[in-house]
Order: sequence, then C-alpha cells, then structure tokens
Amino acid sequence: MKPAAFDYARAATIPEAVAAMRDGARPLAGGQSLGPMLNLRLARPGKLVDIKRAEGMRGVALSASTARLGAALTHAEIEDRRVEDVTRGLLPHVARGIAYRAVRNRGTLGGSLCHADPAADWVTTMTGLGATMIAQGPAGERAIAAENFMLGAFTNALAEDEMLAAVEIPRLSPAARWGYAKINRKTGEFAMAIGLVILDGPWARVVAGAVEAPPALLPRAAAALLAGETSDLDAELAERLPHLSPADRKLRAVSLRRAIAMLSEAR
Amino acid sequence: MISAPLAVTLTVNGQRRQLLAEPRTQLADLLREQLNLTGTHLGCEQGVCGACTVLIDGVPQRSCISYAVDCDGAEITTIEGFDADPTMATLRQNFSAHHALQCGFCTPGMLVTARDIVLRLGEVPEARVREELSGNICRCTGYVGIVGAVCATARGCTPQESAAPIAAAALAAPAVAAPVENAAPRAAQPLKGGNSLTETIAIAAPPEQVWEAMGDLPALAACLPGAEITEVDGEAIKGRMKVALGPIKVAFAGTGTVRLDAATRSGVLRGAGRDGGTGSSAEGELGFALAPSATGTPGGTDVAITLQWRLTGALAQFGRSGLVADLVRRLAQQFAANLQARLAGEAPPAQPAPLNLFQLLWAALRARFGR
Ligand SMILES: Cc1cc2nc3c(=O)[nH]c(=O)nc-3n(C[C@H](O)[C@H](O)[C@H](O)COP(=O)(O)OP(=O)(O)OC[C@H]3O[C@@H](n4cnc5c(N)ncnc54)[C@H](O)[C@@H]3O)c2cc1C
Ligand code: FES
Ligand code: FES
Repeated sequence: MKPAAFDYARAATIPEAVAAMRDGARPLAGGQSLGPMLNLRLARPGKLVDIKRAEGMRGVALSASTARLGAALTHAEIEDRRVEDVTRGLLPHVARGIAYRAVRNRGTLGGSLCHADPAADWVTTMTGLGATMIAQGPAGERAIAAENFMLGAFTNALAEDEMLAAVEIPRLSPAARWGYAKINRKTGEFAMAIGLVILDGPWARVVAGAVEAPPALLPRAAAALLAGETSDLDAELAERLPHLSPADRKLRAVSLRRAIAMLSEAR
Repeated sequence: MISAPLAVTLTVNGQRRQLLAEPRTQLADLLREQLNLTGTHLGCEQGVCGACTVLIDGVPQRSCISYAVDCDGAEITTIEGFDADPTMATLRQNFSAHHALQCGFCTPGMLVTARDIVLRLGEVPEARVREELSGNICRCTGYVGIVGAVCATARGCTPQESAAPIAAAALAAPAVAAPVENAAPRAAQPLKGGNSLTETIAIAAPPEQVWEAMGDLPALAACLPGAEITEVDGEAIKGRMKVALGPIKVAFAGTGTVRLDAATRSGVLRGAGRDGGTGSSAEGELGFALAPSATGTPGGTDVAITLQWRLTGALAQFGRSGLVADLVRRLAQQFAANLQARLAGEAPPAQPAPLNLFQLLWAALRARFGR
C-alpha cells in the first residue's frame, strides 16, 4: 500500500517547522496516526515536515509545581519513566495501555493530543490533570488549557501554522491518589470507555473519556468524592452525555466505578 | 504529483547502505523491494497486526508506518539480522519445541517482539506476556504455543537495564492558560441507534424570518464554508462540498432531490455524494422542520433536524459512526450561530469546515431555498 506522493523535510528548529507549516506542510511526529491515514489515502498532504527532531521538542523541564514535557517524547519513554514522573505513576500507567510497544516506541505525546481522537488516552488524561498545552506559532508561544484544546473529534485548537511544542503537567502531591480504567475488547486497542479519577487533597477531578466527543468533566461526582459521599453518577452522565445511548453511557459508568475503586488500591 | 527520491543512509543488519527512496516509501517496502529482505512481512499496513515489526535503533517499531526517509541515519535490524543473537537462537528453538508457528506469516514480527519482551522485562507472569504480545496477530496457532515459547525463553531472565533517564532542565515560570469557561452542558437530543441523529437548534428569530432567510442563498452560503451548488433543476440539485477533518481533506460531489412544504415550514432532502480522492461515498436523508421555540428565546425558532446517513469506502473504514455524529452536532451549532449572526445583521464568523455529509445536504438545501 502506498500513500499518494508527498515531499518530506526535517525541521531543525521549531521556527523552521512553523515556517514550513505556513507553506502548507503537515507536521509529522511519530506518524503512528498519520501513517495509517496516508496509507489508506484518506489524507493526501503535499508535504510533511518532521518536527520530532526539532530542537526542544524532546526536552523535559521541571519547576516546583509543574513538569514541562516536550511534545515529541514517546509513549514508551513515559512508560519506562525515562521522563521524570510528577503524577504518582499515572502517566506511566496510562502510557503502558496505549497501543502496543512497537507503536509506543515511535508515537508521541504531542502527536496523540493533536490528532484528537476522542478515544485516545492522553486526551482524557491531560484533561483530568488540568494540563496546559504550549503552542508555538509565528507570533511565539501560547498556553491553552487542556479542556479547551480538543474542540471535537479530530479537531484541535491550533491554527494552521501553530504546533504543539510541549505539555505542562501540574505536579500531584505525595498524598494524591488516582484511578484510570480503560475498557476495550483487546489490549492496546483504542478505548470504548475511559474512567479517570484524581483525588489530591482538596482537589478532585472525575472525567468520562472516549465519549465520541471531547472528554466530559463531572464536577458533581468530583465534589461528592471530596465529601466522601456517593454521587448519582448515572444522572450526571445522562446530563453530560445525552448523545450516547443508555448502553454506551452504562459503559462509561462502569469505567468510572472501576476507576473510583482503584483509588483505594495501594500504590 | 511526483516527488523526487531522497538519499537515505541506513545501517541494515550491520551493513551501511546508501539508498534512494521516495518520501512516501515505507521502510518495509524499501527493505523488501530494494534490499530483498523479504522476511519482513506486510499484513495490515496500519500498525495493527505486527507482521512488519523490525528493530529501529534497537527497539521494535512498525516498518509499515515508518517512512524510510524518516529513518535516515538509523540502524535497522530485520529478522535476517539475528543469526548471531543468543536470545533469538533460544527463541527459535523454543518456537520449534512449542509448535509456535504454522504458516509462519506472523513469525518474523512475533520473534522480534518476543525478543524485546524477554530482554526488557525478563521473567514475567504469563498474563503479562500475553498483554505484551497483543500487538502481534497470528491467525493460525491460537497463541498457546507462542506464549509457551516466550515464557520458556524468559524463565530465569532478569530485565535489561533501561536506557538512561532524559535529563531535565529547570523551568522558571509555569505557563498560564486562559481560564476554562465552564459552559453549561448543552441539552441535545438523544442519538438513535445506528447512523441517525436528531438535533434541535434554537435560533433567536421568528420562524417566518428564518424560513425567509433560508431563501437568501448567497448570504446563507456564507454560513457554511466549503459548499458550492453547481446545478439546480426543479427538485434535482447538484453540488460539491469540500471539507477537512484533521489531515483528511475530502471533496464530495453529489446529487440530490429536495421537497419543501411552506405550509408546515418543513422539508426533506435526499442526496448522495462521492469523493474521488478517498473513493468514499456518502448518502443520506435530511428532514427538518421549523417551529416556534419551546426551549430558546421566546419568539424564536426551533429547527428540528433528523439526519440519517451511510458512509462507504475508505472513510467508513476509518471513521466510527459516533465521530461523524459529533461533527454533525458541532456543525449544527456552527450553522445556528452563523445563521443567527446573519439574522442580527452581523457578518458570520469564519469557521473551519469539518467533514460533513450534513454540510453537503445543507448546501444543497440552501440552493433549493434560493429559487
Ligand atoms: C495499532 C495502533 C493502536 C493504537 N492504539 C491507541 C490507543 O489505544 N490509545 C491511544 O491513545 N492511541 C493509540 N494509537 C495512536 C498512537 O498513540 C499514536 O502515537 C498517536 O495518536 C499519534 O502520535 P504520533 O506521534 O504518531 O503522531 P502523527 O501520526 O505523526 O501525527 C498525528 C496528527 O497530529 C499532527 N501533529 C503531530 N505532532 C504535532 C505537533 N507537535 N503539533 C501539531 N500537530 C502535530 C499531525 O500532523 C497529524 O495530523 C494507536 C495507533 C496504532 C497504529
Ligand atoms: S503490516 Fe505493519 S502492523 Fe500490520
Ligand atoms: S503462524 Fe500463521 S499467522 Fe501465525
């Protein structure tokens, strides 16, 4: 199977990549989502610009409150904790459930977020963590909250000549607990449902992921979790996910209950 | 378009090779066709089956979705390059002893993956081996023999040290994103089973005015970018719709029919379109009815839309129906916002054009109203 012909260039720097994108080039990271689409000839870009080798795209920078991860770090590097983990094991756990090792060795954090498949693991995880996307364009840097980054299926908030340079992840405290439950028929497949719960002192987040739309935050469930009460999860899901059938909503409820149950597991 | 081949330097099974490859050439095709290393097999060419797995710079990767030019400078090891590898020698023996292959199609990829499991993880429970093998599909063996061979090889092994951590720099000031608007969840109508959707959009203008505005084709066309009506003949219409969904760009050319009822301010439109590029077809039916608003602004209009559609071809292979439904919903909202802006005398805001049969149908519908 051959994709339609295209030109290829490597960008050595982010500004070089942005300039190529202004000329209509499509950014190529790991190619693990773009590749299948090109092979199927669903996408026919005239030019690809490799961005994963651009300076700074694989950097890690730490502050007291956050970690900034370059967008071109791979899933496997996160899985293996070669990237310092500030999330009490959440990121490595999620990474290990993405696709298969051979895909994780090439696929990148930023590529997955930009691809914006509603069922992708990082999309839900970054929303749950309240991460910040660092975009780079001709006018410089712009910060976008994870909740505002994915606009819809396969659509992100970047302009045509903007790229994702890094993701800034808030540090969880040593007391933080989380649960992440991905439901799929076969290991490594895209999720049919994702439940994510993070509890960190006075801060809690409950997210229903893989909902065929951007992940849905469930504030009532989060408040109930903080108060140590049980919330009416089904009612909140019905309100937030009216577009899903009752059976599909049930699957999300199950994944959330599994995630909540994981909170009590020792880590 | 023809793209000039680029020079690629690869070290393949220890030998440095200078090659030429078109940018679109996948590593697997270059290995098989230029270097005659046909041990690397191609199954799905979408990253799913694992038959094409080779080592790129020492770690397993899919050679079906890794461009040869994107591997320039890399070290590649294919199944032909493990003759002197002790772990692979043990795996070969165990594969044979455990009957871990029948036709052998999956075997090269299986072995490359298995070797990585043994070296990276050492001895691990069988469940973990199965999890790690899940990216390699075998249609013959039922996996029992393969899992047995891997477990036997890994017995007593300790994990290899992983590569060094990636050095971290100090980050002076964390970024601050604009605050997230906590928009109230929008009440949408439930989605019926299969590829059908009901959506009500509220427009802050009375039904008469909305019905009339829908007749002003040029202005309405601006509410939905990418659409073009090429022919209107009685109830028959012809049109084109250019849409983009991430990197996918589609141009559906389609025909349809439309029936309108001014008395009830409702209509039905049926259409079918084809995208030559992806070889995908879309067909669908759109029903709509205007009514005084029950939910939105008092004195406004509810536009109730029912849509049924079917996608065939490559696009259908790629898209899950729910994703198209998400686009349809977003589009309905964009359309409502733009139409409303127009009715209020404002220029409609520029919007990206998502993939949508719905857009094609609306575009065609507008043409009809324009008569
Ligand atoms: C068999 C298989 C199974 C999979 N299973 C899962 C799964 O279970 N869960 C999951 O989450 N994912 C899964 N994936 C997807 C995988 O995680 C990909 O790695 C990821 O979606 C894309 O990352 P990439 O680096 O390969 O991006 P690419 O394929 O190179 O790019 C993806 C898209 O993003 C754009 N892009 C890439 N980087 C940037 C950037 N920095 N700035 C702007 N735009 C950019 C590209 O132009 C392209 O449109 C699977 C993939 C395969 C092949
Ligand atoms: S051919 Fe590469 S994974 Fe199937
Ligand atoms: S042995 Fe035939 S596919 Fe695995």
